[in-house]
Amino acid sequence: MDQAAVTLESHELSKTYFSTEPPTEVLRGIDLSVRAGEFLVVMGTSGSGKSTLLYSISGMDRPTSGNVTLEGRELTSLGDTEMSKVRLTRMGFVFQQPHFLGNLEVRDNILLPALRAAPKQGREAAISRVDALMERFGITHIRSHGITQVSGGQLQRASICRALAGEPSVLFADEPTGALNSSMTAEVMDAFTDVHRDGTTIVMVTHDPGVAARGERVIYLRDGTVEAAREIGRWEPDTARRREDDLLAWLRDLGF
Amino acid sequence: MRSIAVENEERLYLRYAYNDLVKNKGINAALVVTLVLSAFLMATGSMVLERLAGSISRLSEQGKPPDFLQMHKGEYDPAALTRFAADHESEIDAWLVEEMLGYDSASLSWSRPDTGENGDLAASRIDNLFVTQNTEFDFLVDRTGTVVEPAAGEVYVPVLYQQRYGLTPGDVLTIRTGSGPYELEVRGEVKDAQMAASLSPSSRFLIHPEDFEALGRAGGATPEIIVEYRLAADGDANALQTAYEGAGGLPTNGQPVTGPQLRIISMISDGLVAFALVFVSLVLIVIALLNLRFVIRGTLEDEVHEIGAMKAIGIPDREISRLYLTKYSILALVGCVVGGLLAIVAANVLTHGIQTSYAPAPVDVWTFLVPLIALAAVYVIVVGICRGVLRGVRRIEVVNALVHGSTLDEKQAARRTRRQARWVRRTGLVSSSGAGINRRLAVLDLRAEGRAWVLLPVVFGLTAVLITLPANMVSTFESPRFVTYMGVPERDLRADVQFQEDVDGVKDRLVTAMEDDDRLTDVRSYASVDYTADSEDGPARLRVEVGNRPDDGGIRFSQGGLPRDGQIALSVLNADRFRVGVGDDLTIHDGDQSITVQVSGIYQDITSGGQTAKMSGDVTEGAAAYTVFADLAGDGADPGGIADEYDEQFPTGGVKPTQEYVRETLGVLIDSMRAAAWVALVFGLGVVVLITSLFLKLRLARDRSNMGVLSAIGFSAKELVGQVRTKTLLVVAAGTAAGLVLAATAGQSLASAALTAVQLGITDLTFIPNPWLVYVLYPLLLLGAGYFGVAVLTAGVRRADKSEWIRR
Repeated sequence: MDQAAVTLESHELSKTYFSTEPPTEVLRGIDLSVRAGEFLVVMGTSGSGKSTLLYSISGMDRPTSGNVTLEGRELTSLGDTEMSKVRLTRMGFVFQQPHFLGNLEVRDNILLPALRAAPKQGREAAISRVDALMERFGITHIRSHGITQVSGGQLQRASICRALAGEPSVLFADEPTGALNSSMTAEVMDAFTDVHRDGTTIVMVTHDPGVAARGERVIYLRDGTVEAAREIGRWEPDTARRREDDLLAWLRDLGF
Repeated sequence: MRSIAVENEERLYLRYAYNDLVKNKGINAALVVTLVLSAFLMATGSMVLERLAGSISRLSEQGKPPDFLQMHKGEYDPAALTRFAADHESEIDAWLVEEMLGYDSASLSWSRPDTGENGDLAASRIDNLFVTQNTEFDFLVDRTGTVVEPAAGEVYVPVLYQQRYGLTPGDVLTIRTGSGPYELEVRGEVKDAQMAASLSPSSRFLIHPEDFEALGRAGGATPEIIVEYRLAADGDANALQTAYEGAGGLPTNGQPVTGPQLRIISMISDGLVAFALVFVSLVLIVIALLNLRFVIRGTLEDEVHEIGAMKAIGIPDREISRLYLTKYSILALVGCVVGGLLAIVAANVLTHGIQTSYAPAPVDVWTFLVPLIALAAVYVIVVGICRGVLRGVRRIEVVNALVHGSTLDEKQAARRTRRQARWVRRTGLVSSSGAGINRRLAVLDLRAEGRAWVLLPVVFGLTAVLITLPANMVSTFESPRFVTYMGVPERDLRADVQFQEDVDGVKDRLVTAMEDDDRLTDVRSYASVDYTADSEDGPARLRVEVGNRPDDGGIRFSQGGLPRDGQIALSVLNADRFRVGVGDDLTIHDGDQSITVQVSGIYQDITSGGQTAKMSGDVTEGAAAYTVFADLAGDGADPGGIADEYDEQFPTGGVKPTQEYVRETLGVLIDSMRAAAWVALVFGLGVVVLITSLFLKLRLARDRSNMGVLSAIGFSAKELVGQVRTKTLLVVAAGTAAGLVLAATAGQSLASAALTAVQLGITDLTFIPNPWLVYVLYPLLLLGAGYFGVAVLTAGVRRADKSEWIRR
């Protein structure tokens, strides 16, 4: 792997929950490197630590030990305020449930991080960037809607817009299609593919092999360690079927 | 079979309640504390009032105080009293004239021969009256209720003095008489049914008839009498008072008092704190109920899936409600039991003083019933409201509950979506950016979710009323301007020339001296002249203050204004007594002469039992008493020093700074109110901290997912806490401000209504607040309490794993 191109890296990353009896060791010393522009998919059985890994490398949770660097900057030693600033300016998030603020219209929800990050004079630029993103993902017509008035697929595309509004270096996604039907899933994954093509680094957790096939590299977690990894190359629509079958076969071998 | 099923059911309810209590310790503890406080204050207040009423009654039985009495200084005609008694034989059961020797507190001192300790009673502002034991009624009794008879050379001192100076049998009480010191040995203390109230302006010392005569001969005392009547079984004290005052020729130079007034004065002066406790507890109960409603609704929302599931398997609504109700019934019961037990301790402490001044209250069935009824009322109200809120269970629809996790039915959900859609169209974020967006989010959230936050402003509003109302009362009664509720203008010095042989001479010399004094200006004297006027029950005495009053500013007229020639201004209670209003005519009689005057105005006055009147005119001699007012010429002069000088020169002139006059009259009342104000402040602040914490605990739990989103997109914990803080402080400030306005408006009316009800002579009180206290310190304390609650509750936010908030 080309070291110079690594953007996100974890070393000996561990996370233990002490609130249970006995304490639950969810991540056990994970070493991980994500190249700039890579689309990494994290898979694994339930309780294997997929989401915990995502939240630990994104600074939402504090790892118990080990460290994480983003673009060469050590993250685990940052205070909450600095870490938040990193999330605000360098990271984007898409969740399984489209978490939005019910008191804001769709567009304001998307604008929220961009406005928070923008200095006063940058406000206009942030607004036109968001409007362009909404246009690109086909949700301009729901800009003034309340979040309870639009479909799940539209909301998830809005989530992607929000995640991209701050021009992040890494986009994190936790089961982004978990709550969607198959047509909406395709709709949303097309959007991710699109974003990846633009050069955005993506780290996505999923349990759906069809969704995982959109990635470039898949790692498989079991009991808090990386059990296996597989490079599958760029996704193209015409090879999609085959990639999916290959991936499924690999996963079956791993006991998925 | 049936009974086993029922038993199992009961056990199920209890087990559910127990599990819930253990699971949500913090919230349930806060609920219990609020309920305990409510029950505690309610029970304490009712117990104290019951004990006080019992104590007063018991002492009344032992001491047999008069049903009507008239104090008097100066000459009187005993034959006229006998004639009056004969004329009203059917109404009067017994009557007597008690002779008394009045001494200034400075004339009394005490010493303890064994140890050489000694002291004087000069600090006391109370009139000291030396009397002998009565034979028919109005007895002075010892601790056991026995009518005591001192031997020659012995004295029984009032309980008040015994307590204050720690006097014990064997101590020596020395009286400075006109012919040297006169020593008496303290034998014990006596309780006085007539003068037991803390507000009573005088107290009685019991001595042997031989000593009484010796003291009378020695001089230096002011002889006074009390004419006292015990009524026949169906007698009416007010009617007798009217008849007495209308009879003419009877001694009337002093305060008339009826039995019911005595009881009211006792209840006011010694029961005020108890009344305040009941008031505080009522506010607390409202707060506890709002709180419960909030918690129950939240619980229904949180457990909507479980409720849906229970409904789905066919458990009737009633039983689901009961499942929840069991828990709240247990909480209410615990609150009432613990509150009641604490109240027993508190009531004992609070009634200790009462039992000492009055008599130990007899323990009867009401002693237990009164607090039990009060506690039962708290319990029934709390459980009733919970039952009402739990009716919401009925409205929950199975599918919505299970699928959408919503307590709303289709229609409600649709309405909510429409409302939210309307709302978001009206709001916009684009005007803000950077850190300013936090404030904007907080405000938007509050505007959208105002209903969810309403508990806090309501609680802070009520608490603001609760703590400012008594504080406003204290500052009003303490204010130099309060004198205007005493029927007099705001002047620096006041002299009361009364109750002596040569009132005209003393007054003339005093006025001349004051007029010649460069330090004083605007010396004016008013004469008190006794007339009679026709009340509903017949002619009654009307003491009128006559003088030239071109511009007596500051008297609190509730209607009309100062009297001009041919007019009279009446105090509120007198206007009531004589059934006249502004513009009406009132015929007043002076012996055989009658004149008709027009009522020019009605003013508030709490002096002389609230029964005063004012006319314009010039009476320079022959009046019953005179009041002289003067102002200080220079700003820096000390009214106290000048008053002392005059007091020395005119010992019977009663010269005092006006403020001291107010303090003497109202000191005890103000002390009681201050105690009530402290109780309200301490409990109020405790409750707002508690409720803020409880509210935020629930609110934060509900807002977790939103906070998780914000955290993920880059808002720091500090910012999230800041938003919660902004929201909390905004609602707390709004509630506090509303409460202050309410206290100043409705609170003032409430205080006026209460004062009207106790017939003190004030019907329309305008608060004279201490602005620093009420509008600066108290709001800051409330905001501080709110801030403290936020700080404690959000402390965990910084440490939390933020992903927990969205992953749940």
